[in-house]
Amino acid sequence: MIRFIAALSSVLVWMALAMAPAAAADKVVLMLNWYVYGEHAPFYYGKAKGIYAAENIDLEIQEGRGSAATTQAVAAKTADFGYVDVPTMMRAAVKGAPVVATGVLLQTSPMSAMGFVEKNIKKPEDIKGKTVAITPADSMTQIWPLFLKKTGLKEGDFTTVAGDGQTKLNAVINGQADLLLGYVMDQSMKIKDATGKDVYPIKFADYGINMVSSGMVANTDYVKANADLVKRFMSATTKAVEAAEKDPKAAAQSILDANPKGGKIDTLTQGFELTVPLYRTPETEGKRPFQVTDQNMTDTVNLLVEYGGLEGKAKDNPKAFYTNDYLPK
Amino acid sequence: MVEPKGPGGVSRALNAAWIRPFLFLIFIVVAWDLTIRLFRIPPYQIPAPGDVVVVLWHDWPELMRQAWPTTYATICGFLLSALFGIPVAMLIAGSKTVESYVYPLLVFSQSVPKIAIAPLFVVWFGFGIIPKVISAFLLGFFPVVVSAVQGFKSVDPDMVDLARAMQGSRFHVFCAVNLPHAMPAIFSGLKVSVTLAVVGAVVGEFVGSNSGIGYVLQRSIGTFDLPTMFAALVILALLGVVLFWIVDQIERFVIPWHVSQREEFIFAA
Repeated sequence: MIRFIAALSSVLVWMALAMAPAAAADKVVLMLNWYVYGEHAPFYYGKAKGIYAAENIDLEIQEGRGSAATTQAVAAKTADFGYVDVPTMMRAAVKGAPVVATGVLLQTSPMSAMGFVEKNIKKPEDIKGKTVAITPADSMTQIWPLFLKKTGLKEGDFTTVAGDGQTKLNAVINGQADLLLGYVMDQSMKIKDATGKDVYPIKFADYGINMVSSGMVANTDYVKANADLVKRFMSATTKAVEAAEKDPKAAAQSILDANPKGGKIDTLTQGFELTVPLYRTPETEGKRPFQVTDQNMTDTVNLLVEYGGLEGKAKDNPKAFYTNDYLPK
Repeated sequence: MVEPKGPGGVSRALNAAWIRPFLFLIFIVVAWDLTIRLFRIPPYQIPAPGDVVVVLWHDWPELMRQAWPTTYATICGFLLSALFGIPVAMLIAGSKTVESYVYPLLVFSQSVPKIAIAPLFVVWFGFGIIPKVISAFLLGFFPVVVSAVQGFKSVDPDMVDLARAMQGSRFHVFCAVNLPHAMPAIFSGLKVSVTLAVVGAVVGEFVGSNSGIGYVLQRSIGTFDLPTMFAALVILALLGVVLFWIVDQIERFVIPWHVSQREEFIFAA
């Protein structure tokens, strides 16, 4: 009897000890702007290398369905952080969504009009008479009219077909369209995966469209309530980006380790390598990632208000859209 | 003896059959507005009904213009589902062999999510109206077939035998007995099918279109313009209601004898 009680109590004590949590890591959900592609390598790399765990963060990465949808998820607190196109976030913020950018990663725009290299569409003038595939009201289509203005093109100079993300890709792959609007490191690589052929992007940034793009956003209430966590998250993400910059192939591989159907290693690596030059502008050369200048943000807001349909009151306080306070020095 | 007064004029008007859904709708809109005020729901999550009404009022011409391609695709798709659905149902109901081969595959195909294969239609048929018509057709096809099979199978065999005994040819008997008996079931399937055809047309537009209510929806979602998005949804709902009502009126005309068409007659003493 005594032996039985002793055995039972030792089992119970052992179970209690086994279940007692160690200092539990903070659970954080990061929702991306789209399905995974090369640009997202640093986050997967940081998770794989334990950079987030070192800051006591248990990171879960979810793929998104467009910057607009992810921004709404962050505003509704269904995701803790979102990696989205910051101009899209600004459109939501100006309508009252409680979101703020805690770090702007792509300080040069990755937006482009791209088509097969063999079609020889290298300059804006070559777009005349061609067919362009767009997705209505996505981040690139909202800036497209500004690109047309800057390059002297008019809507009547080319044909437009509209569809969702998959339809755009299919259209270019199957020849129904000559060009599509996309990010230099996303659709170009997917087309290369599908056809083996190279794609040439006409970058909006080369034609005077100086605006920021992807960045980390969070709910303003969440940031206030979890200031320390946000600081640790941005610190870990900065380190993850820096580590990924040093080893693009390993960073791309971490995407495939987490998501074997996420693409092919060569094009994911190439996609990430195409993203790195966009991290900095001449003013932030040599600085750590995410440290966007106030001038860059103000220019972005002004551009969006003038040509991008952003409400005028956004100009009153561009600083309301972002904060560098949570970034590591 | 003083007789109790019957219901007054206003009360009778308020109780008229067609007013009731409007009253309920007004009730829902008021409840919606109150909920937003009570819970302080921000406009980028759910728009206030007032804003939606403003958009409907201002943009009515534009919305109507965009509603036309959607309506056209819906009607074409619906007519195709009726045109193909009823004969397929006849075959299935008429032959055990056909039924055993075809029916299970039909059910299998119904579970394939149309939104996943819609991009393929654009690849195969281009960016015109055809992918949307096919999308509407595929969504509306199954309800028609299932109801029509049910209808054709539930024909009273004794009636058929009687008609054949009176030297009716197979075709004559079909037109006089089988088809009329199956009509009520066919129409119920058509009513479900027409509302699904609206969904199909919009799915087709999401995937590849420059016009239509689906396009308006996509555009307003991307710019966080929730009032316009809800206004577009209202238009789609109205489209479904109108088409449903049209099918219902056609049913009234075709099968006036059926028990479901009986009006309520109140006999005064």
